[in-house]
Amino acid sequence: MSGHLSWLIFTPTIGAVLCLILPGQLSRRIAMLSTIAALLLGVLLFRDYLPGGSPDPTVQRQVFGSSYGSAEALKHVERVTWISGTNFKIEYYLGVDGLSFPLVVLTVLISFLACWASFTIKKAHKGYYVLFLLLETGMLGVFLALDFFLFFVFWEVMLLPMYFLIGVWGGARKEYAAIKFFLFTLAGSVFLLVAIVACFFFSGRALGEPGGTFDIIALSTNPTILKYFNDPATTLAGYRFGSMIFLFLAVGFAIKVPTVPFHTWLPDAHVEAPTPISMILAGVLLKMGAYGFFRIAYPLFPTIVHDWAFWIGLVGVVSIIYGALCAMAQTDFKKLVAYSSISHMGYVMLGLAILSPTGFQGAMFQVLAHGISSPMCFFLVGVIYERAHHREINRLGGLWLTMPTYGSMATLGFFASLGLPALCGFIGEAFVVLGTFRAKESFDWAVPMAILAATGAILTAGYILWMIQRVYLGPAREEYRHYPQATRTELSILAPLGLLCIVMGVLPQQTVFNFMNGTLNQLVGHLNSAHQQILQSMIQPLASAAGM
Amino acid sequence: MINILGQVAEGQIWQPTLTELSYFAPELVLVATLLLLLIGPLIAGRGSGATLVMVVVGMVAAVVANLLVMNQVVTGPVSGLAPAAGHMLLVDNFSIFFKFFLLLFLLGVTVLWMVGSAATERNAPEFYILLLGSMLGMSLMVSTMNLLLMVMAIELASLPSYALVAFDKRNRPGAEAAIKYVIFGGTCAAIMMYGVSLLFGVFGTLDFTRIAPQLVEIFENLAQVPASKLALLGLALLAMGAGIAFKISAVPFHFWCPDVFQGAKIEVTTWLSVASKAAGLCLLLRLLQVLAGSAHASGHGFSAAFYLQVVTGVVAVVAAVTCLLGNLAAYRQQSVKRLLAYSSIAHAGYMLMLGAIVLTGDVTQLVWQTVVIYLVMYLLMNLGAFGATALVIGQTGSDQLENFTGLGRRAPALAAGLAICLFSLVGIPPLGGFIAKWWLLWALGQAAMQQMHWWLWALLLWASFNTLLSLFYYLRVIRQMYLVNDDRPGLKVPAGGVVLINVCALLLLLSGTLLVNPIRQKVGRYTDHIFGQSPASIVQVNQPQNISGNQLDGRSRERIDTQ
Repeated sequence: MSGHLSWLIFTPTIGAVLCLILPGQLSRRIAMLSTIAALLLGVLLFRDYLPGGSPDPTVQRQVFGSSYGSAEALKHVERVTWISGTNFKIEYYLGVDGLSFPLVVLTVLISFLACWASFTIKKAHKGYYVLFLLLETGMLGVFLALDFFLFFVFWEVMLLPMYFLIGVWGGARKEYAAIKFFLFTLAGSVFLLVAIVACFFFSGRALGEPGGTFDIIALSTNPTILKYFNDPATTLAGYRFGSMIFLFLAVGFAIKVPTVPFHTWLPDAHVEAPTPISMILAGVLLKMGAYGFFRIAYPLFPTIVHDWAFWIGLVGVVSIIYGALCAMAQTDFKKLVAYSSISHMGYVMLGLAILSPTGFQGAMFQVLAHGISSPMCFFLVGVIYERAHHREINRLGGLWLTMPTYGSMATLGFFASLGLPALCGFIGEAFVVLGTFRAKESFDWAVPMAILAATGAILTAGYILWMIQRVYLGPAREEYRHYPQATRTELSILAPLGLLCIVMGVLPQQTVFNFMNGTLNQLVGHLNSAHQQILQSMIQPLASAAGM
Repeated sequence: MINILGQVAEGQIWQPTLTELSYFAPELVLVATLLLLLIGPLIAGRGSGATLVMVVVGMVAAVVANLLVMNQVVTGPVSGLAPAAGHMLLVDNFSIFFKFFLLLFLLGVTVLWMVGSAATERNAPEFYILLLGSMLGMSLMVSTMNLLLMVMAIELASLPSYALVAFDKRNRPGAEAAIKYVIFGGTCAAIMMYGVSLLFGVFGTLDFTRIAPQLVEIFENLAQVPASKLALLGLALLAMGAGIAFKISAVPFHFWCPDVFQGAKIEVTTWLSVASKAAGLCLLLRLLQVLAGSAHASGHGFSAAFYLQVVTGVVAVVAAVTCLLGNLAAYRQQSVKRLLAYSSIAHAGYMLMLGAIVLTGDVTQLVWQTVVIYLVMYLLMNLGAFGATALVIGQTGSDQLENFTGLGRRAPALAAGLAICLFSLVGIPPLGGFIAKWWLLWALGQAAMQQMHWWLWALLLWASFNTLLSLFYYLRVIRQMYLVNDDRPGLKVPAGGVVLINVCALLLLLSGTLLVNPIRQKVGRYTDHIFGQSPASIVQVNQPQNISGNQLDGRSRERIDTQ
């Protein structure tokens, strides 16, 4: 189908417009239909990559395996000029490869489940679903846009719906949380915007043309641009261009991930957001930061990344440990899950830092695993909150006896989050830690960081087991005895997530790695070769000068 | 009298031909409308309805006149209405754009007036006489390079504005604001007049196109110029700058703005917030551009370039401070009118940043495009925001932030439109305000790449950073509308007003998405061949066939010489 990706992105928008026009009673149905339609469109993307979809067996095993950014690697490309000028062109440029493909599928899945879970929303249905659907458009757009400007537009499109979804339908301190979220993200966007402008003009200068390009793929694969961007002699306002812009991009994305020290918006936003929005926040929004590193910050600055690897790794490790310690100290159930998100996303940063295929695969797997397990955890918290109307861990207890099915589901979800082998959380963390150990030849700091990251897993086990003990185990309490069992709706949301936790943990190769390793390995290879070439080209003049 | 007639006969005093006069048809139509509004009520009565009919007739006629002129001017860059001494008035594509802009805006303000106060207004003809008078002044402001006419145009724009602010006799804050406005405006005008007279004293001409090359020459040979003359020149330029800064409400000449905006009737506030600033800004840009053109023509002597950068630097600093101050001061306001007043100061700051780069060689075209796009978006955003405020005032009696509580539920359509306009003012994609800001950043980046000055990058970062600051106070209004719970009864807002606001919102939404490219292409039409743009464009004068040959030839040759 031509325009597959456009249909995918704008199906929710169409739904939003319909919601807006038609009476409020229909909103939920329309929203469900739109998210289901988006889900189907997302799943249809699989069609080309399933066994039998291609005669070549190697393609079956590792789709998207062509060199990073090449025409073969990008599928379903749509490319139309959007804004054109004398010496610039902003394109409506979409495409999917192994990096974005799993995230797109994750987005449509989580959006569908979150929409399904929105039955808890009691007021102003119409506005809620309109904003929800717009949010989905923004998220999908971010993952599919390959033009820097378009990327930024989608990146910002998410902001407004999120602000209202937290601010209007949120908890007691919703206003504070909403503005904090908005402010942090917009601060990141400001850095991003400046970086976009600078990248455009400097790419033009690199090519010796009056205008540059917004094409993310061109920016990250054109050797002339790469060399110019990473050359220490390239300066902007007296500072090294590459370091400065990489820093801008890194801050912009790190706020979204979020990593320490930009993480403070996350616990507030999560605690105040309604359950379905927490699911979206944890399941998809946080992934955008990581995606930004994979898609933009890294490929554009391969050499700078090598210089900064230590700091990225350090941020990752600090996030792991600090997030876990904070989680341990929480008495609010939802806040505990929120801090555990920070801790888990720390593994992503560490996996990114070590610049090896194992690290990248682990980081990306962790992104997806967390995208499945954390919405599940947030929904599990939401189920209790619906009944108890509080989230104090210390006031809960014995829920497994009261609600056995729910209790089992909860254990599954939290064990997946904990990183128990054979569940999805394990693979990513194991890959990252192992990869970090193995990176000891490239980086001296790899081993200590790997040890610290592994310690983080112990801390994670600590706070999750302790929480399970306090909330689910123990004798059934009188005040919770009358709680109804988990309803069918609730189970229908938990079941697919739980199933995915198991399937991804048992069959990581078939479910995830097959679809993304091709691109990830190519990306790492591309980064390293670009780095080598840039070093060569910088050494060469020196060597020839010495030879003379 | 006889003496003057004698001079006319001898050709010492210039008389325009009919064709030349026809270039000023839009202004003449405006004058005619003014006269109609003075005389018409004697026959048709002083009702709001009759006045509206006259105004609409005048506006339609002005649009037609402007269209006719545009078709003539489009082939040639500039047409001037001038005695042999130099341009008194000029018509180029940009001044035509600006007249369209003012007319469009007048239409918006008229709708607002119809919805809000037309029913109770007893002095409708006078209101429109003053409004059109200031409009005439503003359109003259962007159509002249003659310092005398410039001063007169600014006064013509200002004097009716003073009266407009105090238009409602029973409104004490309005009267107080008007007094402030008059005193502040009068002082600034006096200072400006002083500066202009000093310039005349030094150069012996009021034609800025002739003053500019001499200024550049002085900059180039600074060592030979006596210090006293330099001091005099510096004083004169600063004084002139003060007059223009007052119109733009740039720091430190912004003090009138919040009080006047709060005190005046909301239609007047809307009018002043956009039109007056736009006119001042465009005038400043034109002056700077002529200066840049002269510097180009002189071949960029080192010291000349250096002193031009000093001028640029002053503009940049003023712009940066204006932005910051507007954004910070807006934060604590309880009155939404006042909040929007500070927001308009901040936006004036953003636009003023363009003044800092218009002197950069190749960016000029881009700067003018940005001005056009920014002004149009700004018009839509402000019309929407002030319009919504007007409706709230109309229903609740005051513009305190409190009265916006729960508007999202009490008047959903109104609140949604206002929210879009406010987000657009912040500059969030995919709204028109973001596109405007994007062009600004774009132009700044382009200039930074040309000059490789760190401070231009800093300015770029500053503009983006200020976006972040501005988020706070716009969000306060939105928060009050959507996030604060209360159970006040719903509002019955007039449908016309809601339609106006939502049209603005819809246009902003479209101009940020589907219409970006069409708008960009349209803009080129108004920014080609701007007077004084670059020496090159002046040389290729294509004369419209129907202009009496000799006089124009002489003039254009002269212009080439002076450049």
